[in-house]
Amino acid sequence: MRITALQIAPTEAASELAMEPIILTDSLEKVYRVGKVKVPALRGVTLTIDQGEFVAVVGPSGCGKSTLLHILGGLTRPTAGRVLVDGNDFCCMKDAEMTRFRRDKIGFVFQRYNLLPTLSARQNIALAQEIAGNGFNPHRFERVTKLLGIEGKLNSRPFALSGGEQQRVAIARAVICEPKLLLADEPTGNLDSENSQVVLSMLRQLNEELRQSVVMITHNPEAAAFADRIVRMRDGRIVSN
Amino acid sequence: MILQNIWHRPIRTVVCVLAVGIEVGMVMLVVGLTHGMLHDSATRVEGVGADIMVQPPNSSYFLGLTSAPMPVAIANRLQQLPHVRAVTPVLFQFESAHGLSLIWGIDMKTWNQVTGGFVYREGGPFQGPYDVLVDDWYARAEKIKVGDPVNLLNHVFKVSGIVMHGKGGRLFIPLTTADNLAEQEDRASAFFIKCTDPGYTQAVIQSAETLLPKYTVRSVQEYMSMMTSNDIPAMTDFNAVLIAVAVIIGFLIIFLSMYTTVTERTREVGILKSLGASKGYIMEVVLKEAWLLSALGVVTGYLIAWLGRKVMVTVFPTLTVELTVQWALIAGVLALAGALLGALYPALRAARLDPIEALAYE
Repeated sequence: MRITALQIAPTEAASELAMEPIILTDSLEKVYRVGKVKVPALRGVTLTIDQGEFVAVVGPSGCGKSTLLHILGGLTRPTAGRVLVDGNDFCCMKDAEMTRFRRDKIGFVFQRYNLLPTLSARQNIALAQEIAGNGFNPHRFERVTKLLGIEGKLNSRPFALSGGEQQRVAIARAVICEPKLLLADEPTGNLDSENSQVVLSMLRQLNEELRQSVVMITHNPEAAAFADRIVRMRDGRIVSN
Repeated sequence: MILQNIWHRPIRTVVCVLAVGIEVGMVMLVVGLTHGMLHDSATRVEGVGADIMVQPPNSSYFLGLTSAPMPVAIANRLQQLPHVRAVTPVLFQFESAHGLSLIWGIDMKTWNQVTGGFVYREGGPFQGPYDVLVDDWYARAEKIKVGDPVNLLNHVFKVSGIVMHGKGGRLFIPLTTADNLAEQEDRASAFFIKCTDPGYTQAVIQSAETLLPKYTVRSVQEYMSMMTSNDIPAMTDFNAVLIAVAVIIGFLIIFLSMYTTVTERTREVGILKSLGASKGYIMEVVLKEAWLLSALGVVTGYLIAWLGRKVMVTVFPTLTVELTVQWALIAGVLALAGALLGALYPALRAARLDPIEALAYE
């Protein structure tokens, strides 16, 4: 279901009408159950991110960053509160709709790259296009692989690529279908500083050249510095925005 | 991706393909053997050249399993019926010392009248009461030559001749000797009747039934049509049980393989889910992989059946294995259906995995 900013927050809507935010969360809560113990991961997160914005979410381990990212990506549902991504209210969507939404609107980049080990770089990237059902788009493929500097590595399997190269392939896979939102979970967590710089520069470049909205989770202040805005979290809450 | 997965796990692939191949090969060989042996047996009865068979009341299809033998004198009464050219009595005896062989006790004179006589590859007719004729397939299988001694029914027989296969049994001894060894006198298990013209077959059957009420009188063509595994209840059950066992083994192998594969690839399933793969897409990937594995297995099974048949008829020349397109298709469909069924639960399990838990799987 598509909902506008006007419906969720009428008083703030006027300023949002010019460009609808890509993300709107309102009092978002998430409680995990570990055995009989309830563990609150998010305790009322309210956040707005504009289209084309590059936002870094920082905070200590266990503060709820990854949970927030998973909810924004439609991988899990909040326990309470509302979340709208590109106008889609997750509360009203069925599992199949969430899957379609993830396929069409979201690109994920993970700390551990998460490439399929049996496929070459080219096949890993093309897989996203196959799942999206759009067919192979050679122009987009060429543009993205050139932008990420992996044209010469497309026939290599992940085990034959360096960490930085694997992460660039993972980014290419994430953006090949032109998602509205790129969610990066510690994308430099497994990389040395040189490769981290390369990957962050590329995320920045994608954001600037393709107007790609990016939400990046990181522990690293240097990485966070690449973003337009830094959101700090602690104990499941946003402490500075 | 499916091809890459299959290629990436060569041992798993080989084991699955072989298991399904053995399943398919086993079904084809078992069915081919039962059909082949029955058909071969029926064809050899047809090869006698008679038009009608007469057996005692309540006789079995299996010639060696007849009830109490009939007096040979009945042959004379049958001979008197209109349109009967010749009648020959045969006494069947099972020999189990060298595998299970059916020995035909024959009266050479009337046998020649009904059948037109043997075609001798080597040697000639019986010279004494303890002479035996063997067909060329049996001779090849047992490496027997004319003059060799052969131990049958606890007696030593001498091979007097090797005859061309396809006419009744594979081992022939004189009827009187067969009677003596069975401690009977002038008895026969069956009579083969040759009509003056095959067109009189039904008329002669009616006359014989009138003459011998309660006896089993049937045309050789009818006997041929009854000698299929579908018409023999025990054989149908035997085939069904073996086929079921083969299919269950194939099912379990694919189930175990795909279950292990899905567990091993939990993280990959999580990646697919993060890319927006639907439950249907993930199920399709698992089922297609199982289908491809079993399709390779089916082809391997055809090869195993073909090679198995070659080996069997080389080592045991008296065996007949009939590999038919019909049973190749049935075995293939059973294997594919069993494999898809075996992969169904692992596919459902993969589709239902929680994406976050799957991505965190080590």
